[in-house]
Amino acid sequence: MLHNRVKELRARFGFSQGELGERVGVTRQTIGFIEKGDFSPSITLALKLAREFEVKVDELFWLEGDKSQ
Amino acid sequence: MKKDFRVQYPLWQMTFIVLLGFMIFSISGASTEFIHNDDELRFGVEFPPLESILLISSIFLTFLLIVVFSLKLSKHNKQYPTQKVSMWQIRPIEYLEQDEGMTHITRRAAQKVYTFFVWALPFMAVIYMVFEIPRYWMIFGILLLAFIQYLIFYLEVRKHIEEDEE
Repeated sequence: MLHNRVKELRARFGFSQGELGERVGVTRQTIGFIEKGDFSPSITLALKLAREFEVKVDELFWLEGDKSQ
Repeated sequence: MKKDFRVQYPLWQMTFIVLLGFMIFSISGASTEFIHNDDELRFGVEFPPLESILLISSIFLTFLLIVVFSLKLSKHNKQYPTQKVSMWQIRPIEYLEQDEGMTHITRRAAQKVYTFFVWALPFMAVIYMVFEIPRYWMIFGILLLAFIQYLIFYLEVRKHIEEDEE
């Protein structure tokens, strides 16, 4: 299962789901699905999100049981 | 999002299916008369009172709803000029494909519908083969499948959207 820090970083950057969605070109609902772990984003979207939060992709998304996080 | 025309579209279809069911029920209650001899050629259809009322009401309601449906569709197209839908498009209107997240939800709902048909169609075929079922009841069976198809799709999409809006 894929885990992520999207919700945490979004709060830190002060974005609403809608604002973040607009920045990366998706709907507010898709940001919500990612935060809940309902949906694993494409590499393209993961890269866009990482760029918005100024982190590497593997700092934003990681697999369950991955010790590197 | 729940008010998005594409999300509500299955509800419209379900309503039209119910109305079509009423129309078929009314027609199935009609008695027909066909006279063909040297003197005359005559064909008549007679509806009992209840069936007549049902038929007229369902036809009236269908036309009324088609008007409201068209207005809603036109409103949606004005509101979302980049996501226009048409009554005549081949691709189902209920597909939500604004982005990859919504496409994912649509795919899940479509998978559930597919699973339903994988079981329901052979089951219905067996029922039709084993039992002698009047033609109208066969049509009702097909309408029931169509109704359930839209219900499954709607409930699945709504489940995700509702969770998201909590």
